[in-house]
Amino acid sequence: MRGSPLLRALLAFLAILALGWPLRQLTNAGDAPREQPKAAVVAAKEIGLRLAFTLVPKSVKVLHLGKEVWSESAPTAEMERALKLAYPDAGIELQFQIEWPADAPLAAMRAVLTDPAGDAHEHSIWGQGSTEEVVAFP
Amino acid sequence: MPSLCNALAALRGFPIVRGMKAHALSLLTLLALTISSSAQGKLRVSSFSTILTEVAQQVGGDRVVVTGHVKPGVDPHEYEPKPADLKAVGEAQVILLSAKHMEGYVGKLKESTGTKGAVIEVGDGFASLKMKAENDPNKIVEDPHWWHSITNMRKAVKVVRDALIAKSPADTALFTDNAAKYLAKLDALEKWAKTELAKLPRDQRKLVTSHDAFQYFAKENGFTIYAIEGLSSADQPSSKKVADIIATIKAQGVKAIFPEKIENPKVLKEITKESGAKLGGELHADGLGEGEAATYEGMYRHNVETIVKALQ
Repeated sequence: MRGSPLLRALLAFLAILALGWPLRQLTNAGDAPREQPKAAVVAAKEIGLRLAFTLVPKSVKVLHLGKEVWSESAPTAEMERALKLAYPDAGIELQFQIEWPADAPLAAMRAVLTDPAGDAHEHSIWGQGSTEEVVAFP
Repeated sequence: MPSLCNALAALRGFPIVRGMKAHALSLLTLLALTISSSAQGKLRVSSFSTILTEVAQQVGGDRVVVTGHVKPGVDPHEYEPKPADLKAVGEAQVILLSAKHMEGYVGKLKESTGTKGAVIEVGDGFASLKMKAENDPNKIVEDPHWWHSITNMRKAVKVVRDALIAKSPADTALFTDNAAKYLAKLDALEKWAKTELAKLPRDQRKLVTSHDAFQYFAKENGFTIYAIEGLSSADQPSSKKVADIIATIKAQGVKAIFPEKIENPKVLKEITKESGAKLGGELHADGLGEGEAATYEGMYRHNVETIVKALQ
């Protein structure tokens, strides 16, 4: 093979460079993280929620996954509402914020949740003044 | 104290001191005796758990002197007592152990110190969950990480309170009052944690960790644990094992994993890349640490916040 050593070295370098690009593409192709795994999406279904109080509170709020789903500023002794929430097999947690009159004695709230299958689950919350509790159903 | 009294008596021989009024010396002697007796009157407690060190300090208040042998940030699984620890245990009236086989040296500790103190194996009174042994995954042992359950913590506070009262009945009112205050703090912490965790749907409460230490936490808060072994070991896990971990993460739709003591960063990178799960941050598994994890409340809050942030 003829030609100056410098030219031969340059040709060899260019050949390596030409091979390098496709090789880099091949080796780096998988470096980007794949899409985050998605939990199975649970469709929102209708559930029934009935609240009964031994003493009518000043206000009551119900939160699901940190978001308010029911708020009553003038509650009555018994209330009922249909809510549309994602209800997985593992069940749900609802957070209740109840404001009873300041000087009132210990009071209770009974929560009855009717799940999408029609089964009722009950839970009681006792408190005085401002009361906050997370309840798991079932 | 006799040596101090002798020294004071000897001072009387000096000309300047001879000129001092007698009652001044008497007052000095009385003061020295008072200081000494107050230090001597305190209960000496030896603790081999950072969690129990905090409990003993909170419940005992200024009526106890607590020696925490396992320091914050030290892995209690790896800890072995040193001669200074044995001396302190020998002089302690109450010795607190996490138990559930966490302190494999307990037999030697009792034998070598010949302690007359009450050895309280706190965790042994709580119902056990099972886990794979850290050094032998084929062996099933009791999970010793009971403090990740606030219910267990309440029981631990009562156990420590009763142990201190048994040794110093005169301080019953103080220990009972301090314990009640600490229990109220635990109630508030539990309420806060329940509210935070309520932000996570129950079907997404999946905890993938490399250290199987959160079963008590999981049981109390509705989580399912998927422990990934091999990441905390210098040995390379088999490709089948890695594939199984990736398949589990994908199948369960797990958003984040919480590795600890990563000695296999390449494997971890492969798992996160292939599964799409992100790194969820460090959880405090083995007791109290530094900074925000220097208290039980700080440690628990950090763990809850890290989990909610990563899985939300």
